[in-house]
Amino acid sequence: MPYHEFKCSECIPERKMHAVVKGPGEDITMALPLGYLNTIPGSISERGCAYCGAKHVIGTPMKDVIHLSHGPVGCTYDTWQTKRYISDNDNFQLKYTYASDVKEKNIVFGAEKMLKQNIIEAFKAFPKIKRMTLYQTCATALIGDDMNAIADEVMEEMPDVDIFVCNSPGFRGPSQSGGHHTINIAWIKDKVGQVEPKITSDYVINYVGEYNIQGDSEVMADYFRRMGIQVLSTFTGNGSYDDLRAMHRAQLNVLECARSAEYICNELRVRYGTPRLDIDGFGFEPLSNSLRKVAMFFGIEDRAQALIDEETARWKPELDWYKERLKGKKVCLWPGGSKLWHWANVIHEEMGVEVISVYTKFGHQGDMEKGISRCEEGALAIDDPNELESVEAMLSLKPDIIFTGKRPGEVAKKIRVPYLNAHAYHNGPWKGYEGWVRFARDIYNAIYSPIHQLSLLDISKDEIPTGNGFVTSGMIANAGLAEEVISAGDLRQYSGKYDCVSDLKNKIYPDFKKVTEE
Amino acid sequence: MNCEVKSKERVGVINPIFTCQPAGAQYVSIGIRDCIGIVHGGQGCVMFVRLLISQHLKESFEIASSSVHEEGAVFGALNRVETAVDVLLMRYPHVKIIPIITTCSTEVIGDDVDGVVIKLNEGLLQEKYAGREVHLVPIHTPSFVGSMVSGYDVALHDFIKYFAEKSEPNGKLNLITGWVNPGDVTELKYLLSEMQIDATVLFEIENFDSPVMPDGNVVSQGDTTIDDLIGTANAYGTIALNRYEGGKAAQYLEKTFKIPTIIGPTPIGIRNTDTFLQNLKKMTGKPIPKSLVHKRGLAIDALTDLTHMFLADKKVAIYGNPDLVIGLAEFCLDLEIKPVLLLLGDDNSFYAKDTRIKALQEKVDFKMEIITNADLWELENRIKNEGLELDLILGHSKGRFVAIDNNIPMLRVGFPTYDRAGLHRYPVVGYNGAIWLAEQMANTIFADMEYKHNKEWVLNVW
Amino acid sequence: MDDIKGKIAQLEDYIMKKCLWQFNSRAWDRKDQNENILKISTLLLCEEHFIPETPADRCYWVEAVSLVDAFKNRYPWISALNKTEKKELMEALKERIDFLTITGSLNKELTDPLY
Repeated sequence: MPYHEFKCSECIPERKMHAVVKGPGEDITMALPLGYLNTIPGSISERGCAYCGAKHVIGTPMKDVIHLSHGPVGCTYDTWQTKRYISDNDNFQLKYTYASDVKEKNIVFGAEKMLKQNIIEAFKAFPKIKRMTLYQTCATALIGDDMNAIADEVMEEMPDVDIFVCNSPGFRGPSQSGGHHTINIAWIKDKVGQVEPKITSDYVINYVGEYNIQGDSEVMADYFRRMGIQVLSTFTGNGSYDDLRAMHRAQLNVLECARSAEYICNELRVRYGTPRLDIDGFGFEPLSNSLRKVAMFFGIEDRAQALIDEETARWKPELDWYKERLKGKKVCLWPGGSKLWHWANVIHEEMGVEVISVYTKFGHQGDMEKGISRCEEGALAIDDPNELESVEAMLSLKPDIIFTGKRPGEVAKKIRVPYLNAHAYHNGPWKGYEGWVRFARDIYNAIYSPIHQLSLLDISKDEIPTGNGFVTSGMIANAGLAEEVISAGDLRQYSGKYDCVSDLKNKIYPDFKKVTEE
Repeated sequence: MNCEVKSKERVGVINPIFTCQPAGAQYVSIGIRDCIGIVHGGQGCVMFVRLLISQHLKESFEIASSSVHEEGAVFGALNRVETAVDVLLMRYPHVKIIPIITTCSTEVIGDDVDGVVIKLNEGLLQEKYAGREVHLVPIHTPSFVGSMVSGYDVALHDFIKYFAEKSEPNGKLNLITGWVNPGDVTELKYLLSEMQIDATVLFEIENFDSPVMPDGNVVSQGDTTIDDLIGTANAYGTIALNRYEGGKAAQYLEKTFKIPTIIGPTPIGIRNTDTFLQNLKKMTGKPIPKSLVHKRGLAIDALTDLTHMFLADKKVAIYGNPDLVIGLAEFCLDLEIKPVLLLLGDDNSFYAKDTRIKALQEKVDFKMEIITNADLWELENRIKNEGLELDLILGHSKGRFVAIDNNIPMLRVGFPTYDRAGLHRYPVVGYNGAIWLAEQMANTIFADMEYKHNKEWVLNVW
Repeated sequence: MDDIKGKIAQLEDYIMKKCLWQFNSRAWDRKDQNENILKISTLLLCEEHFIPETPADRCYWVEAVSLVDAFKNRYPWISALNKTEKKELMEALKERIDFLTITGSLNKELTDPLY
């Protein structure tokens, strides 16, 4: 498997070991991009920092918490309202963010006193919230503030509050991934085991590494509840602080994003003997297998099978409608970390698209092993991509669509490649059966956008087609389809609602009697 | 006194109005052609600011990071700057200007950025890039000082200080716009062109609104050139529209090159635009043409349709960049709207001494509060817990939930406005800005009346 | 020989594209996973008895059941093999998976002593 050298990076030869092409018959023992190494300065990498990995990715989805960053105001401002992780408590965690607002005098004379005042003020402003997460930033790490000591002091004075301290300044590690690690370990070390939960089922799991983007975790929690499984905690999407302190009481840790949350599962395995089951919540077959495995662990496969049958019957004809229309479309799958392996194979199998490139901003080599294994031959895999390499790849690969972040999506727009937001989604949730159809629908709408088609026309040179006052997505898609596919009566377009999550809050679940004693 | 100026009492910030200094410096850097900044700090300091700018403008801009990791934070990270400069220059052959923008971390560890620039100038640039025009501009923007507003001011000053060079008079006016949108620059250039004034506009950012082209190779960037920056020393005058975003550079030019200078007012609304034109007239000796009398007439006509029937006595809260907030408040008063609460989001001690704020204190005849070092909780807490009643909020998108959760109509103004489409294309300055602002305020209120069934039938006859 | 190679390639393809258990982040963990899951898979494939006793065992067993089901559904030839052939096949498969994920792996984090 040859390493791939970008023309634009010939002058930084160390980049060569960060990209490979998966050749015919080749596997991951022949070449693997380097990963999780320090970024090359000035390369215009897409990586973020360890603070955002801790606070923005993992900490903030916790819904019933004051999230306070100890530092100048920018870290807080910048990691506020740039995500779509919702919650069922009216999105408290999205709406409110807190900064200790460290100023020059605090840098010189220390900021511990003002931190304490900050904490007290924040609890006072929101008297119903009794939990807080406290994040170190570059500045306060460098001046050496002892945040743990301050937190302990406040907890002593205010016995009804609890504070979690996360020391993950921006510079700690090559990317946001360093922060994922730090907060995982800090949480299990400092908080797990402190709360004894109410056990309501014979079957109890933690759902780990799931951040409730546009409702993903609520969709999955719905499935678990329908099978009578108690989701003790979600780490951390729509998660509750005190539920997460009780993680030690689950019988099984169901792990979704191993990139960001395997650490806590591994530690729970060591400390409490709770096994870790890695699952894929994306795609019909992987999801069905995952639900079946979780159920089988508890000996309730029949419940899983009933759910799988029901959901598949409802949504498969819609997925297949899109698959017929997406077959052979070329995709650059360029997310942050875990989605490159969550999606690489299943979008090929279930939507018929060809993954021609995968990349990861902050993944490790293990993510590339998974991602490359799951790609088809010919795919270009890139670690820690930078701006010029991405552009070079798009120009040479000519994808029909790319899945990436918001800002890189703007770069793609200029090259006239449609983009979908791989982190926040366009019209999610994309997990679950319905979610997977929504993803397919978003891809279809992007690729067959009449406006996208118009963007390819040069009115100064090309023949201008004047016959039509309009074109629909369907007209563009149908142009490449056989008549029997177009008229296939058993397939249909997505038929769900704009918001498919909110109704879940009021849903009533079957009462599976709890058999075992506590 | 009806109008009280006070500072937020809490020490911390709940929902900030501004981000920190390096963001302002980065916003300046993208306005200059052949310029890619290096932010010396952690990667988040760049990644999130690029995201923020792209959310606002729906475009991507190139800014680099020195990617300071643990070793750098412990042992010093100047070697990261050296590598970053080299890598940027190798891979971006068009780049001529590299501002090196510091952050809290690299200021705390005391990295000598000025020293490394000298070292690079004497070493790398001569050895490896001889014959290539390269300017390394150190910009100190520690995040624990000021805010994105002062970061903008500092960066602009540092660029001017680096480049401005006295030679022959260039017959131009320096127009320093402050932190504005592409739509504002279009409007300002329209006014200048009607006045037949040749000006160096800092910054030429109309192309922040850039197209999708058939050849697919557009990279968004501003168009201010090195020559523009050098020539600022040779202008016959400077007008800086915003005191806190460009005032420092204007003062530098005045002091160093004895260039006649007028700072302010932010030409928001009819009255401030009139003053701006008067200042132009004074500085250039050129008359105000009939065409602008006509344009002004169109604006007055539009505003007359709205003021006493719909806008009068409406209570509004305004937050955001200080010059913008003050300008909007002044315009609101002319429209018979009552700006009952102004929130200025950093601890700049000059705000309280600002003559415009003093004038509000002296002359406003209803109860009004001006909060400095404010956050958005100062707004929300007053609404939720202290009985503040508002008919409208003017501010940027970060405060959207204050409006949404309290059922108050809100017009997005300022930076960033990512939750509304295309606002960067419209001006808030000049006569066209006055029209746009007043009509958008009215339409926002109208939509709210209909949504709440609050005398929505009024609009049957208008 | 070619025949068994081709068969292993099919099974390998399934595991590498559809499973995650072989990719835990450390070599010792992968060794554990491969060994237990493929051992139980072999037993199940040969219709021999396996009763999971610990929670960890249950997890391995769940993966094994899932794997064997998939093998039987996708590759009908597997059911036609006799016990000895199945055991040989699975042994060779394990060797291959161990190579891909452990002994031949280029992943430098595999030997990191910490998680």
